[in-house]
Amino acid sequence: MTGPLELEEFRTTVSQWCADHVPAGWRRAQTGASDDEFVAFQRAWFAELRGAGFAVPHWPAEWGGGMSAAQQVVLYSELAAHDAPRLVLAFVAIHHAAATLLAAGTDEQRRRHLPAILDGEIWVQGFSEPEAGSDLASLRTTARKEGDRYVVNGQKLWASGAMQADWCLLLARTDPAAPKRHGISYFLLDMRTPGIEVRPIRQATGESHFGEIFLTDVVIPASQLVGAENSGWQVAQQTLGAERGMTILELAERLGNAGFRWLVDACVRPVRGGGEGGRPIDDSLVADRLAAFETEITGLRALCRWLVERHEAGTAGPADPSIVKLYYSELLQRMMDFGAEVAGLAAHTELRKPASSGWESGAWVLDFIGSWEWTIPGGASEIQRTIIGERALGLPREPASGS
Amino acid sequence: MNAADSADIRDELREVARDLLAKTGRNAAADWRLIADAGWLGLEVPAALDGAGATFAEVAVILEELGRAAAPGPYLGAVVLGIGTLRLVESSQARDELLRSCTAGTTIAAAAVTAAARDTAAESLPFRLDRCAGGLRLHGRAAFVPDAAQAGRLLLFALDPEGAPIVVDAEPGAPGLDVAEQPVLDATRRLGLVTADNVAVAETSLRRFAGDPRAAVRQLLGRAAVALACDSLGLSEAMLDATVAYARLREQFGRPIGSFQAVKHACADMLVQISVGRQLVSAAATKLAGDEPGASVAASMAKSYACSAAVQVAGAAMQLHGGVGYTWESGIHVYLKRALLDRALFGSPAAHRRRLAERYGAAPGLRTWTGR
Repeated sequence: MTGPLELEEFRTTVSQWCADHVPAGWRRAQTGASDDEFVAFQRAWFAELRGAGFAVPHWPAEWGGGMSAAQQVVLYSELAAHDAPRLVLAFVAIHHAAATLLAAGTDEQRRRHLPAILDGEIWVQGFSEPEAGSDLASLRTTARKEGDRYVVNGQKLWASGAMQADWCLLLARTDPAAPKRHGISYFLLDMRTPGIEVRPIRQATGESHFGEIFLTDVVIPASQLVGAENSGWQVAQQTLGAERGMTILELAERLGNAGFRWLVDACVRPVRGGGEGGRPIDDSLVADRLAAFETEITGLRALCRWLVERHEAGTAGPADPSIVKLYYSELLQRMMDFGAEVAGLAAHTELRKPASSGWESGAWVLDFIGSWEWTIPGGASEIQRTIIGERALGLPREPASGS
Repeated sequence: MNAADSADIRDELREVARDLLAKTGRNAAADWRLIADAGWLGLEVPAALDGAGATFAEVAVILEELGRAAAPGPYLGAVVLGIGTLRLVESSQARDELLRSCTAGTTIAAAAVTAAARDTAAESLPFRLDRCAGGLRLHGRAAFVPDAAQAGRLLLFALDPEGAPIVVDAEPGAPGLDVAEQPVLDATRRLGLVTADNVAVAETSLRRFAGDPRAAVRQLLGRAAVALACDSLGLSEAMLDATVAYARLREQFGRPIGSFQAVKHACADMLVQISVGRQLVSAAATKLAGDEPGASVAASMAKSYACSAAVQVAGAAMQLHGGVGYTWESGIHVYLKRALLDRALFGSPAAHRRRLAERYGAAPGLRTWTGR
């Protein structure tokens, strides 16, 4: 329990820390940065945060976290207010990998990996496949048991950060005869294992955040199975939504601070290169939409805080993570579209956006195109609406083939 | 009382209110006597004046439940505006007596605060007081005054001869004071046109604001806006519940229509809008209850979002109920009309967003809107 006074003190501490430690001019330095520069910067920033105890606040105290939800809200809102860089490279490691290990991993697995993550171990998620996108449970990568090891063959797609990863959270089919959600197992895969090939995928923005992972007779020791054999789908379901409240809260704080600030700035400055030279804000339609966005961001931020509180109190609804993910991603998309529209032709000359930033960087056209990186992965908006309809409202499932 | 206790009290209040309103049934006004006896009229009135000594946060619970039930009755005029006004003016024997009587439900006092209900600004008031040889005279006109024609007393917002806002406590039958019902499509609410033509006003009928008069007017307008947002939130919830229940039962093409993605996703969107609206409304009610900074910004956000959403949600409910939804008998039109009136009263969404946009300022870097 953290009282309001302690929280205010904590806010002051974090605010001062940010003023002292957020690297000046990092956005410029990260714009057009090489992969190596990006990785080096991410590692350095992670180490800074770790030194302050801010890298993994959501982990249990025994593993180096232990911050209350209320403190985490303060931490993320201050980092956003000071426009600190985001932890992009470590994201899967500190959220998905850690949540999986804590919820379903063995003591041995936790001891092996949680401290390593704090030392910079990078993780990637090997879930999606060419034939298993929204219908993830139909994945085809196989893991054949041979004695005390599994032999894996298949292909993974849309693996964010695959090129830098040390380890992979892998879903593979261990029982081809079982109904599709009951024949999947969850593995920890060392990316240095022979038989793994990673190829970057160039995405619509021109960058390569994602990779394809080809797996040919890749051997995984049985000790690296997470949870029971064939219970991988259940493990994944358990841990996928768990982190969503706080991760979206962080993104919502960023959208509400720097993101909205830049949008307002774009509206109150005369349009660069525009023929008429007026300010967008003088158009009442622009002012109206700006106010509508501010209202929606305020609602989103409150919704995230509410979800985090409910999650901590154990009263979260089954579709709460879907509601915030859906709303955040679509609001982001609409706001970036608006930014691109308001900024006009000048926004088309911003050919690169800074790495290590949030999803809104002020390079509006690229930000808008990049926003599909939120509405498609992690359960596309259509899937989220189905989850909300079925799990929150209790509407009947669509008759489907297989389950 | 700590926050958890207050939340428990509100949960209990909500349960009692929902039960009582459900018993009354749709299209019937809950007995005013019953509502008074339940203590809902004087929730914010101090205990010394026979009230419950609670806050607007509790009133907000009742408002949301009244919206859920689309309940007719003068709660908006009598409590939100009438009692709300009396709490803002200086205490006096006459004021205290009227407040007691309003709390007990024996008198309904309606307040005419704007010339046309669409106004959100505190700059213009509907009436003006002139001093002439015979004493004070009142002139002016206020349209769409909630529950004016049913009221036993009228609280008229006027500019005094010095140009400061003041409240005139008037009897509806006074010579020159005319109150006429303004029929509207929403059958659950009653609005009236109040006209004052050279009405003689005694000094004893003047009620001065306890604090800064302009701030008091702004506070009352914010209160009205949040009240309508609460109502819209409640009626949205009722429309979603009804739609989900119908979509689970109604079968077409051999299966419940709720199993079709087109229907399911529309329901999901309704829930998302309601979830966001609930956060905005709750923040606005809390800030208003505590008279916190940012209360009027929160009120504009809640009003513009929740009232727009309610029209969309009620419209979607009519659509998803199909032909049945369009019938008079289904009653969905009752909610749609009430949502439309909520949206129009005390500032359209565009008017509230215009006020929000005024804060964005002329120069880049102004950060007044980034509340943490």
